[in-house]
Amino acid sequence: MEFYLGILQTIGFHTLLGLSAYLLLLTGQLSMAQVGFFAIGAYASGILTVIYGLHIFLALGVGAVTASFFAFLVGFPALRIKGLMLVIATIAFSEIVRLYFFNLRWRIEKGGVEVGPDGAQGFREIRYFAANGWEPYQIVSFIWIVVILVIAALWWLDRVKVGSVLRAVGEDELAAQSSGVNLTIVKVSAMTGGGFIAGIAGGLYAHSTTYVDHNSFTILLATFAVAYPILGGLKNVFGTLFAVVFIQGILIEGLRFLGDYRNLLFGLLIIIVMNFYPKGLINIPIFNFSRRTKKGDT
Amino acid sequence: MFSKLKKLKLATLAFATVIAGGAVADTIKIAGWGAKSGPLRSFGVNSEAIIKAAIDRVNETGGVKLADGSMAKMSYDYYDSACNPEQAITIARKVASETDALIGIGPTCSGVAAALFGIFQKKVGDSSDTGLQMPLLTDTAVRNGLAQISQWTFRNTPNEPDMYDKLFAWLRKTHPEIKTIYGGTETDQGHSAGTYSIVIVQAAIRHGFEWVNGPIDEVTGKIGEGRANVLKSSSNWLMADTNFSVQARAFKKSGADLFIVSSHPFTTCGFLKELGRMKAMPKMMVGLTSSSSAETLKGCPKQAEGMIIPTSFAPITPAAKEVAALAAANGGAADLHSAAAWENVMIIKDVIEAVGITGDPSKVKEERAKIRDGLEALETTEGLIGKVTRVQDQGEALKPFVFVHAQNGNWEVLHDPRN
Repeated sequence: MEFYLGILQTIGFHTLLGLSAYLLLLTGQLSMAQVGFFAIGAYASGILTVIYGLHIFLALGVGAVTASFFAFLVGFPALRIKGLMLVIATIAFSEIVRLYFFNLRWRIEKGGVEVGPDGAQGFREIRYFAANGWEPYQIVSFIWIVVILVIAALWWLDRVKVGSVLRAVGEDELAAQSSGVNLTIVKVSAMTGGGFIAGIAGGLYAHSTTYVDHNSFTILLATFAVAYPILGGLKNVFGTLFAVVFIQGILIEGLRFLGDYRNLLFGLLIIIVMNFYPKGLINIPIFNFSRRTKKGDT
Repeated sequence: MFSKLKKLKLATLAFATVIAGGAVADTIKIAGWGAKSGPLRSFGVNSEAIIKAAIDRVNETGGVKLADGSMAKMSYDYYDSACNPEQAITIARKVASETDALIGIGPTCSGVAAALFGIFQKKVGDSSDTGLQMPLLTDTAVRNGLAQISQWTFRNTPNEPDMYDKLFAWLRKTHPEIKTIYGGTETDQGHSAGTYSIVIVQAAIRHGFEWVNGPIDEVTGKIGEGRANVLKSSSNWLMADTNFSVQARAFKKSGADLFIVSSHPFTTCGFLKELGRMKAMPKMMVGLTSSSSAETLKGCPKQAEGMIIPTSFAPITPAAKEVAALAAANGGAADLHSAAAWENVMIIKDVIEAVGITGDPSKVKEERAKIRDGLEALETTEGLIGKVTRVQDQGEALKPFVFVHAQNGNWEVLHDPRN
């Protein structure tokens, strides 16, 4: 059972990471900075629980706020660029963050042993969950309560005026601006919100894996973060969840028995899905709730 | 009627006896995991090849003796953790909760081990700690001090501080003409950079070698001292780098007698090729333990010629020669990392026989704890090139080692400090 709970944990924080990119994609911003915010959340909350002994709730909250603050700062220069230039700029930001943590050495002695980030040696023993007697099902429940809250918030957002404004900016910036939409507020808010979600995801990741180092936050993870909502589809918030389940649950774990062929099939399946369902997994008929509901209605 | 009832009672009694008496297994399962995909794929392939050979050997010689005196076969499953912490943790959870494997062997990468060991219970018997409770005996991940993260995790990996201390002491004695040193490492690899900045340079300074540009601040020869300054004074690269011209030029310009190249085979070869292209080969080169492998000699046999490395494996004993041959027959290669997998299987067999294991699936938890206790109690184990001393309170090993150098596309023993 613990195995399946472990997979659910992984799916949980990857879903949050994907949702942070989803929020930005709604406004048409393809950001690779999510992994940078994820790293900030991971290190900040890890430092708070390991070095300062804070409660996990508080540590995750502070980590998320810290990440969102940096996202807010990134949001302004990001306004001036878009498309591939934004991708390059946000990759640069994530690399700055990664290399900062690569060089961060903040060690204190606690209980006769040194703890804290140790540069390239990484940040070990972020063991809040196990050390405080959390059972695996409790960890999973906690992560999924956060995931459900975030999904619910984004779902609600998509159904009120704010969501329409986000999508309007994503569809046609110029038209939205002509209609009186303040692009600065919309884009910076989306970046800040995305940073907040990525920060929480990073904190949960660090405490689930008990260890982070600069290698945990590479361009590959940034690619996954944007791949989840794109592969899943931007039609609604569940597309990202489907994509994470598909990649983390089916492709990575489900195909492990294939050994070396797993990676080949991994890529092939993604190509097939994108070719048959270019608007994302959410458009596969069995997942297409809205169409089924309409049919039911008639 | 009475007779039928009696028969039924007897049958029921016999069935109950079998159930209550505890089933004795005919197979003892172990699990292994390591990088079988990605840039470090060869490490996992080598480990699996040797685990397979070792298990085959155990089974050919009758298997493993159980608590009741019967013999059971050993079997293994090997998983690809891709040098990825999340995947390694998922596999550990799967093995611990979904299989009857009594112990694990792995993982490959030190960064993965640092994460993986953290999900195990830190102190045995601490009921407030909900970490995994299953013993793990690592063959490859070599970064300093990892096994102390949990009392369930053990390593049979080389002790680099001891190896480099002895190496530089020997070099000082046998090569008095070598005076100055210079070096570099792949800074994004914890093992390469850590061993270089914490262990290797300090060992060289301790034994009287001089840093070519004058002493490095705070570096007195004591392990770990001034490590940040060591990195600043060196010319470094990253594991994904493919261009080493700046670094090779810095090495050449240093004019040092001895170059220290602390990186894995992949960038070691790239760097050495650039060094060779610049005709900047020094009088002597010392490499990282992990580079004393077949990959280095496949990638750059000519440029690595003469490089000296301390290693805990070389085919210098009949047993080591045999394991090297078996690894090759299984599609792998024996080196200081993978050869430990053979030793680990044999250690596990010995511990199982010593602590009395039934292999009964209903007693997996209890028997895992017994094996852990058995591992902790070990004082010495039989290694392929000699006796291995266990550092019992740390879960670590002090393995015998030799100094090898690359000669004509092979790693030849240069000096055997065991004698």
